[in-house]
Amino acid sequence: MFSEDTILLFYEITDVIIAGLSTGSVYALMAVGMTLVYGVTKAFNFAYGDFFNMGGYFAWILIVGLGLEFGGYPVVLLIVMPLLFAVGYGLEKLLVAPLRKRKDWENKVMMMTLGLALFLTSLYMVVFGVRMKSLPPILEGTWEVGQLVFSYQDIMIFVMSISGILIFAWVLNNTRIGMAVRAVAQNPVGATIVGIPKERIFATTFAISTVMVGFGGILLSQKWFINPNSGGIIMVKAWVVTALGGMGSIRGGLYAAFIIGMLEAFVGWMFGMSYGIIALFVLLLATLVLRPQGLRGKGE
Amino acid sequence: MRLKHMIAIIGVCYGIMAVLPIFVGDIRFVMNIMIMCLIWAVVASCWDLMMGFAGIFSFGQVAFFVMGAYCSGILAIEHSVPPVLAILMAGLFTAVMGVLVGLPCLKLAGPYIALVTFGVHMALQPVLRGKIGIAIGSGGSVGLLTIPPVSIFGYSFSSANIVPTFYLTLLLSLSCVLVIMFTIKSYWGVAFLALKDSQDFAMSLGISAFKYKLMVFALTSFLTGIIGAYYGHFYGVLSYRMLDLDLFSILMVMMLVGGLGHFPGSVFGAFLVVAGSELMAPLGAYRAVTMGALVVILVLALPNGMMGLFIGWRKRLSAG
Repeated sequence: MFSEDTILLFYEITDVIIAGLSTGSVYALMAVGMTLVYGVTKAFNFAYGDFFNMGGYFAWILIVGLGLEFGGYPVVLLIVMPLLFAVGYGLEKLLVAPLRKRKDWENKVMMMTLGLALFLTSLYMVVFGVRMKSLPPILEGTWEVGQLVFSYQDIMIFVMSISGILIFAWVLNNTRIGMAVRAVAQNPVGATIVGIPKERIFATTFAISTVMVGFGGILLSQKWFINPNSGGIIMVKAWVVTALGGMGSIRGGLYAAFIIGMLEAFVGWMFGMSYGIIALFVLLLATLVLRPQGLRGKGE
Repeated sequence: MRLKHMIAIIGVCYGIMAVLPIFVGDIRFVMNIMIMCLIWAVVASCWDLMMGFAGIFSFGQVAFFVMGAYCSGILAIEHSVPPVLAILMAGLFTAVMGVLVGLPCLKLAGPYIALVTFGVHMALQPVLRGKIGIAIGSGGSVGLLTIPPVSIFGYSFSSANIVPTFYLTLLLSLSCVLVIMFTIKSYWGVAFLALKDSQDFAMSLGISAFKYKLMVFALTSFLTGIIGAYYGHFYGVLSYRMLDLDLFSILMVMMLVGGLGHFPGSVFGAFLVVAGSELMAPLGAYRAVTMGALVVILVLALPNGMMGLFIGWRKRLSAG
């Protein structure tokens, strides 16, 4: 019925789609973290991509560096995620909170976090070396349906990041702390009046976003390697997803993440990986010109 | 700051620079550092004009610098355009690029501008390295290796005769800085400040945000492109590695040391930081770490830079 070539092409495209879905799901996770921290604290974090690498490096230290034997990834996540939370909380208290009292502090925060990004990038290069590090896959083996091959790793990445988002959405909508976070996002002054500790909520959201992006880093670093230099590009990617999805919209972020994951996979497949960032940039410009509020954003 | 004070500070900075070759003229290493000081002073001042005065949070200054350098280098190597003409054409090219980048930024606010311009920076590296770059003659991952030095009437300003080259750089750098200074003190500069402080109010007074924001993009990218092109011709080699974050962080430290929005500060900051970063060379790879940490510390601890300290000290002096 079909020629040999057509069938091969079909399998190839399926592979590209799977790759797009699994990276897209992690992008969604990162974008949700970013829209959270920007929506609540109004602080734009340029070091976001370096926290992604931080997650990867922490996992690498535990698994490869220290040779953790028992438990595998669940134990790693159990150790790394509180660590990332602490780092995020501490950095917010130490670096962002003092700036909040200044005038035009949003710009100051951007400069400060860009400095932090440069600091972390060069620190990774000094400590871990310029060469990329690799993490073992979370689950080995493949699942074959006819001639289609799905690796368990891709499936696990997809499942874990989507469940991460779902847990986050549940926390935000159904718990007291989630309610407090939403209250601060809507009206910081009003939230203070009813007795919500604003400063602590700011630090907590910053820490949660650090955990989310670091978790994404652990997931995606198994496929991509950990590159000390990649922080800036990852931050831009997360931001493009956020801008395309619409600020403050989790569902928009999900759609945008899959669109961008697919776009990147297909551009990479057809023209080469280094063109991914160019395609992304063109998409960002097009979004900003044609629909600045994003797919599902509410607009200013 | 008053025009008188600006001229005084710039005069002292450049005056000291102009005298130094008498003492160190035969030490090529030191002369190289001084030329770099002069070049970076212009880039830092342009960035300061953009961020501190016009209030546009652009992170694309290094990208424009590299664009100018590459444009002029490609013109000189591939199309054998005489360097002086190539530098001018590179300036015009970057000015056009600046306007193109500025156009989408006009409608945007805050972090969006920072991101678009940072995206330009990020996207430039794969362009220069990849097939598109090779097609236009960027030399791909090798870079440009044989950029001819600037020559005027058959006299070539290369690093072989470094003292005349130094004075040429001084002249170019000083004229760029003076252009920036007079822009700040002219009607334009006031318009920039008004737009920065309150765009709505400034527009109600008849200041066109569209016109002035594009103007600042065009002017700063023109000057940055010119000085970048000059850098390429002086250095002779260019690589896409310039887009790595080291240079970016050093430039930011310059501006922060000088003081954001305290104009001649960035000139002063550039001189100080270029010299300082050479002194930090023994730190090796830790230099970049230190620079990043310095940005964080300076933003937190020294919000107005050295100029802010200076102004505060003068105020206290006149008060008591």
